[in-house]
Amino acid sequence: MKKFFVSILVLTLLFSFTALVSASEEGKLLIWADENRIQVLNSVKAQFESEYGIPVEIQEKAFGDIRDNMAVEAPSGEGPDIIVGAHDWLGALVSNGLISPIELGDKADDFYPVALEAFSWGEDLYALPYAIEAVGLIYNKDLVPDPPKNFNTFQIIVENITDEENDMYGFIMPQPDPYHTFPFISAAGGYVFGTNEDGTLNPNDVGLNNEGAITGLQRLDELYEEGYVPFVDYQTMTSLFTNGQVGMMLTGPWALPALEEAGINYGFAQLPFIEGQPPKPFVGVQGFMVSAFSKNKILAQAFLNEFIANKETMMGLYETGSRPPVYIPAAEEAAENPDIAGVLESAADGIPMPSIPEMASVWESWSDSLELILTQKQDVKPAMDNAVEQINKAIQASQ
Amino acid sequence: MSFWRNNLLHLVKIFILSILDALAVWSATILFTEHKYIFLTILVLVTVVINYIYLSEKAYPLRYILPGTFFMILLVVYPIFYTVYVSFTNYGTGNILSKNQVIDQIENRYYLPDDSRDFSYEAFKLPDESKYAILLQDDNNYFLVVDQTIEEITLQDSRLIDLDNDGNIDKIDNYEHLPRADLLKNLSTLQNIEIPFNDNIIKMRSLSAFSIYRQQYKYFESEDRIFDIKNNISYYAQKGSYTSPDGEKLLPGFRTSIGWENYVRLLTDDRVSGPFLRVFIWTFEWAILSVLTTFALGLFMAILLNDNTLRFRKFYRVILILPYALPAFISVLIWRGLLNTEVGVVNQILQSLSLGSIPWLQSTFWSRFALIIINLWLGFPYMMLISLGALQSISPDLYEAAAIDGATGWQRFKHITLPLILVSLGPLLISSFAFNFNNFNVIYLFNEGGPPIVGAQTPAGGTDILISYTYRLSFESGRGSDFGLASSVSIIIFMITAVITWFNFKYTGALEEVKENV
Repeated sequence: MKKFFVSILVLTLLFSFTALVSASEEGKLLIWADENRIQVLNSVKAQFESEYGIPVEIQEKAFGDIRDNMAVEAPSGEGPDIIVGAHDWLGALVSNGLISPIELGDKADDFYPVALEAFSWGEDLYALPYAIEAVGLIYNKDLVPDPPKNFNTFQIIVENITDEENDMYGFIMPQPDPYHTFPFISAAGGYVFGTNEDGTLNPNDVGLNNEGAITGLQRLDELYEEGYVPFVDYQTMTSLFTNGQVGMMLTGPWALPALEEAGINYGFAQLPFIEGQPPKPFVGVQGFMVSAFSKNKILAQAFLNEFIANKETMMGLYETGSRPPVYIPAAEEAAENPDIAGVLESAADGIPMPSIPEMASVWESWSDSLELILTQKQDVKPAMDNAVEQINKAIQASQ
Repeated sequence: MSFWRNNLLHLVKIFILSILDALAVWSATILFTEHKYIFLTILVLVTVVINYIYLSEKAYPLRYILPGTFFMILLVVYPIFYTVYVSFTNYGTGNILSKNQVIDQIENRYYLPDDSRDFSYEAFKLPDESKYAILLQDDNNYFLVVDQTIEEITLQDSRLIDLDNDGNIDKIDNYEHLPRADLLKNLSTLQNIEIPFNDNIIKMRSLSAFSIYRQQYKYFESEDRIFDIKNNISYYAQKGSYTSPDGEKLLPGFRTSIGWENYVRLLTDDRVSGPFLRVFIWTFEWAILSVLTTFALGLFMAILLNDNTLRFRKFYRVILILPYALPAFISVLIWRGLLNTEVGVVNQILQSLSLGSIPWLQSTFWSRFALIIINLWLGFPYMMLISLGALQSISPDLYEAAAIDGATGWQRFKHITLPLILVSLGPLLISSFAFNFNNFNVIYLFNEGGPPIVGAQTPAGGTDILISYTYRLSFESGRGSDFGLASSVSIIIFMITAVITWFNFKYTGALEEVKENV
């Protein structure tokens, strides 16, 4: 028994050593990436190592863990040099002082401006973006031959297809889901945070209950109120759609592989215009960031500018990630696929999802009010007013 | 024989200890070079104590206590103290770095002034030292950097040596030219070289260039002030951020002690106190109902299974234990799907019976009802298992005597089974109460504390219990994760559960009775 405990002691100590030894070190690049990125990065790694003679280590982490582990490991000197993440992490990462700005130089012109904007904080750019995503209208071509261009036609199609007796639905979207519902709010002028004069977001100006937001939500709520659209979550939505029971659904390109597999004859289109205005979905951008605690910032920068920002790598990332690239030469090639063109078109009108840390205060209250509205417990206006009041309180409490 | 065995054991012990010591020495050097003196001291102390205890005859008894003590300190005492410590800090999103790290980071912020220039460069290195010379070129101007000093030179300078006359400099004094491959290996050192140049500094900008930078912030330790040289603003340390008189904060903030502020916030914030009573009452109802329902069903099943005349007992037992064996994480999500209002199986069955559909997830009452049912399903097998064990220990003589006296089944249960079983199960019921009081998983997985409440001042939902509600406050509100607030919340919840449990023990006298019966 004694020996057993001693060996456990030894093991415990050993673990603390490995933690000490595998810290990010000079003359070696350590990258944290999720499983979808690993394959492409491994081929880039081989290229980089043979050309530069600098070893690269790629550690696989679950996507969400990359952000959370950064906060713990980077300050103690155990973090990576480069991480692969999403732009909505920016607020937390920058205000925690975990990532440092990068320079794209001449290459900046090869990227869609909306992607660079998403990764900018003040005057600095914090990531090399590689993919973009936004929700749009996914329609079943067997039920909806032509996607509707405006809300009135959309409404007519929904009313014609929906037949609850036979479990047929004209339109479905996941609820309560602020992210997916935002296009209806933004179309006629709703927004999450207003902008300051210098272009940064102002957390003290929440526009989720302005006139435009209310108008858009009312149009959506009519469909729920009259029973044309069921109140379901994401999983239920996709399973109904893959069963061929749904004409149109509102979600992003991440749903497409499952539809492909199920053999649904689908298309991806921009959302119908509301009151003549294009719905502006939240745009999400993925990118490569450099740790503020990296001991190889110049190398990391060179790795990004020379080995990631090229058509071959970007196409590789597109093929394994199934999101459209934002590197223009790659995006042009990818857009030959009409689905990808649809996503790009949808994203072109979109606005980057706010990345300031105050965004954390928004989701819950917003989601609660959507549930109250769409399950007909409360009217649009009072529900959204209440949500905004809650959000303002939460933000003030944190200031 | 035993002499050899003892010696062999002794050798094994010495061997393991020496490995342990070698590892300790190794990690001590690492800790020393990384200036982590606190950990170093702890490591040295622990190593000395371990050696003393396992080598000295006097400390013989301690060797059996030591491993347990070690793990208790590591896994129980340390986390508790750390939680208490964190609850007095502002640790959370925006304040995770130490003050020194923040000052260091802000001081190292440079910007490119309008008149900045790029230089192409060649690097040179002393063969056996990491000392560098850098030759910078800007159009036709050449600058030589050796030992942090920069001077303008011409290509005719005598220190520049072109060995093979190909027009490329091969050596500068004893510094040898670094070809690209070697340059890349030295990059991590080269990138840190900062050369003072007039009021500016020259620093590496990319693989191919050095640039003129200007420092933006300067730290004055005596006043604990950061001065923005570019915009002429002073920032003073204030509650974890450097803040200008206008209230503008420099990012990032740092981790610092803020006294009782987290506790004060919890007590005075109307976002906490507003829904507190409602949440608190439901937490109690939830914990009590959970224990009562699971215990009632579990005991009932146990009594049935305890009947020797029952056939296929083993089969039933396996079936009934299944909910306990399945991970709650999965089964709660399955229940969530079954109870889906629109497409869930339960509502479809109700509809086919023309009973209408029940808003399981949308109504507070039905959500709570569903949670109790789910927790009953999840929890009764545990109660059944412990009851089965307790039933075995009741002497059959008692029942025999009762039967002779003409007691009915119910009377036997009420006067013999229940009192006797409660004696041994009482403490377990109380711990089950404490567990359900903080049963975050089931509440959060089923409906995330929802449904929302109309007109609520905070996002506290209809089924939120204390722990899930405070989780929202600390991690899904404000600026993201607020570990300081979360720690103070968990300490307060710990106190509440501790008091309740204490009263429970006191009131039921559970512990004393167990002692008497042992």
